[in-house]
Amino acid sequence: MIHFDQFGVTAETIRAVLATALAKGADDADLYFEHSGSTSVALSDNKVNRASTHVDLGVGVRVVVGDQVGYAYTEDLSRDAMIAAARLAAEIATGTQAHAPIDVTSRTYADRYPVTMPWEQVELEKRVAMVRDWEQRMFAADPRVNKVEVSLADSFRHVLIARPDGRLVYDYQPMTRAFIVCTAEQEGRRESSSANLAQRMGLEFYTDERVASLIKRAVDDTMILFESGKPPAGEMTVVLGAGSSGILLHEAIGHGLEADFNRKGVSIYADRMDTRIAPKGVTVVDDGTLLHARGSINTDDEGNPAEKTVLIEDGVLRGYLHDEISARHYKVAPTGSGRRESFRQPVLPRMRSTYMEAGPYDPAEIIASVEKGIYCRSFANGQVQIGAGDFAFYVRHGWLIEGGKLTRPIKDVNLVGNGPRVLETIEMVGNDLVIDEGGWTCGKDGQSVPVSQGMPTVKVSRLSVGGAS
Amino acid sequence: MEPLELCRDILAKAKALGAEESAVVVSRSTEVSLVRRAGKLEQATQASSLGASLSLLVNDRYSVHSTSDLRPAALDAFLERAIAATRVLEPEPERRQPPAELCGRYTSEAVLDRFDPGWESLTAEQRRDQAERLEACVDALPTRDQVLSATMYVGDSIGETARVLSNGFENVSRGTGYGHGAEMTLLEPGGRRPEGSSYFSATHLADLPPPEHIAAECWKRAEQRLASGPAPSGRYPMLLQNSSVGRILGVLGGPLSGSELHQGRSFLAGKKGERIAASGLTILDDPTIPRGLGSRPFDGDCLYARPFSVIEAGVLQNYYINVYYGRKLGMEPTTGGRSNWVVTPGARSVDAITKDLDRCIVVTGFLGGNSNGLTGDFSFGVQGLLLEHGEVVKHLSEMNVSGNIGELLMNFGEAADDVWKWSGVRTPSLLFEGVQFSGT
Repeated sequence: MIHFDQFGVTAETIRAVLATALAKGADDADLYFEHSGSTSVALSDNKVNRASTHVDLGVGVRVVVGDQVGYAYTEDLSRDAMIAAARLAAEIATGTQAHAPIDVTSRTYADRYPVTMPWEQVELEKRVAMVRDWEQRMFAADPRVNKVEVSLADSFRHVLIARPDGRLVYDYQPMTRAFIVCTAEQEGRRESSSANLAQRMGLEFYTDERVASLIKRAVDDTMILFESGKPPAGEMTVVLGAGSSGILLHEAIGHGLEADFNRKGVSIYADRMDTRIAPKGVTVVDDGTLLHARGSINTDDEGNPAEKTVLIEDGVLRGYLHDEISARHYKVAPTGSGRRESFRQPVLPRMRSTYMEAGPYDPAEIIASVEKGIYCRSFANGQVQIGAGDFAFYVRHGWLIEGGKLTRPIKDVNLVGNGPRVLETIEMVGNDLVIDEGGWTCGKDGQSVPVSQGMPTVKVSRLSVGGAS
Repeated sequence: MEPLELCRDILAKAKALGAEESAVVVSRSTEVSLVRRAGKLEQATQASSLGASLSLLVNDRYSVHSTSDLRPAALDAFLERAIAATRVLEPEPERRQPPAELCGRYTSEAVLDRFDPGWESLTAEQRRDQAERLEACVDALPTRDQVLSATMYVGDSIGETARVLSNGFENVSRGTGYGHGAEMTLLEPGGRRPEGSSYFSATHLADLPPPEHIAAECWKRAEQRLASGPAPSGRYPMLLQNSSVGRILGVLGGPLSGSELHQGRSFLAGKKGERIAASGLTILDDPTIPRGLGSRPFDGDCLYARPFSVIEAGVLQNYYINVYYGRKLGMEPTTGGRSNWVVTPGARSVDAITKDLDRCIVVTGFLGGNSNGLTGDFSFGVQGLLLEHGEVVKHLSEMNVSGNIGELLMNFGEAADDVWKWSGVRTPSLLFEGVQFSGT
């Protein structure tokens, strides 16, 4: 089989390593083979002056006994090294072998990221020409632009997951990411802003229209900062713009609904299943199946197909994000949410693309309904405390709303709130859902995974804004 | 193959393929970590790892690469692709290596003492015992019945790093690391579950605090988050707890760096030699501290790692300039990145300082937030305590602290005497006057 060649292993080796993993009486095990690589070129100081390439190859061996996990990995894919790793991982168990692995058979799931122009076939000179072209267009867009940095990175990940129940799942996971930093000068003052895009696509992602919009955003977002001020401080009404405002869902709800936190009782949502946690009309999903999305996966890292998981249905909490350990605990099917950063880490329940379904309101109507508040347009980062439910996100660009109108731009302000209380105060949901194409990365237990997020325009009646008094 | 041999091998291959300069690093490490909860081992990870990284200069064109696929044929193909990728770039002679005479060890490994020989005899049973003892200390807390869930973390590692530069520099270093910690979740009426954690890192096992201390500290941090909420928005004196200082002083990291100065994105540009903070503030970069978490004999360019002043009595003394940005900016290189930051402590305790204040906010932790290095503006979510004459009157959450780091440093009041040594930022708690908090 071709996927074995990718890693230089055979079906017989896989069976022997799995047998070692199960030798001390484990309930379950998995082998996670990974071969990943990335290439990037970067421009600064008017030169395409830096390239980088990275390759990673290895296998992780996980041994599961109830909710206990033993884990080991090796970059050496020789039979001896893999057997040794399986022995280390198996130390979590203390009995004797209860069952033997079945011979593996390949399974295929739907492909959410077909690529027409794979990066492996794109000459490096093409990448160099692209970043050079984008830089020239940045300078041409506005005479105030005085420094431009551009990077274009692509990566791939071949994964092969083998399970004692005979499952063998292969996936090819491509990604591309473009990043532009713009610095501008006006009357002796400087401002800087950045824009980025990321999707699971090949060269075909960079259409003229998409590149033009990326450049326009990098330039416009920088220039508006010259006119931007600080918002006032304290609690106020907040309107979240369509798209990357999904960061609020990611922090306020998403992490709290990862089932490991609930299984341990440490999430504020632990006892809330099938109860109302948001007003009617609020439906939130976590979806691994969006075509080409950065957060999409064909298979999760345990070999289960990704799915669209409803978290909140019309205001009622309906589901958690499960890996197999939590799914067994709750006696439900896994949701295809078991993910890991690489073969060096065990699986955790994680988000994929988290978004709120569209509602009935025209975005203009939502803004018009606010007497005094702020409108948030772009974001940098966020964080949550799972148990207390307090969360924060950092707004890079926004507007002050006065008398139902956007009156002056604001910048650089952190917003904090409490997840369940903020959910209760969602007042209006717009009809303009946008899945953001930004290069979002989620961190948990020291592991980073690519995610997406989306949102229609939404009005929240109360969040604490870290402005100036 | 030993890491040093592998370095030399890769360097020779890169040269044969046309790289006039290269720098190769090979790291080998072993890590063990245990997670214990509810009376049993929840997760045990152990693994040994080997990987190589290198930077290349081909016709004055620069690139960086890394791989963990060290099979001979794969490595050869990787190096060929790396060289080919470099050739398509534009030349930048500023990337050339520093002259060999600037490179070397400033402090001996014997003085730095980063390797704990006890690591090699540490057994699986001893590690399990460490986690069990920590859990026993948590279970022995008089307040244990208020704890919904408690998780223990025990981990250690050993690493060996070999480094070879084409300018003749060669070095092999070994180091160990240990981390022990606990995390607790409490349950409030109404379902809120405030959490607290305490985590300690050290290069030597003997330097970690005893498990009783880790358990007690964890409880204290969780308890401080019970029944918390926001205080009214306004200006307050801010007592920044020692373990939280790094996050605020970290705002200076970008603006002090050569890359941000060169890109015109630093509010500290042109301020060297000027007063940027109140005169009581002194920050030293000291890579020579024995067993220090940020200690090192040489820096990322392999330049001698010497101590130097960053801020002395409020005056900006030095930026972080590596060899490349030194050439770009026409400045002498200092070093590219922080080693240990040492903030000079004061004479009084935190209690003595806060007792003299009608009211103040003690910041014990952060939630999200970010900063803008071009303006110095920052905005962070905070947790903490509202104090009146040193007495806790409210536990704080759902608040932000916002301002400008330049103004904040000028409003520095006093350093306490309680230096935090569990991080690369060795600092006491710091008092700042008139800081903007937003809450209700």
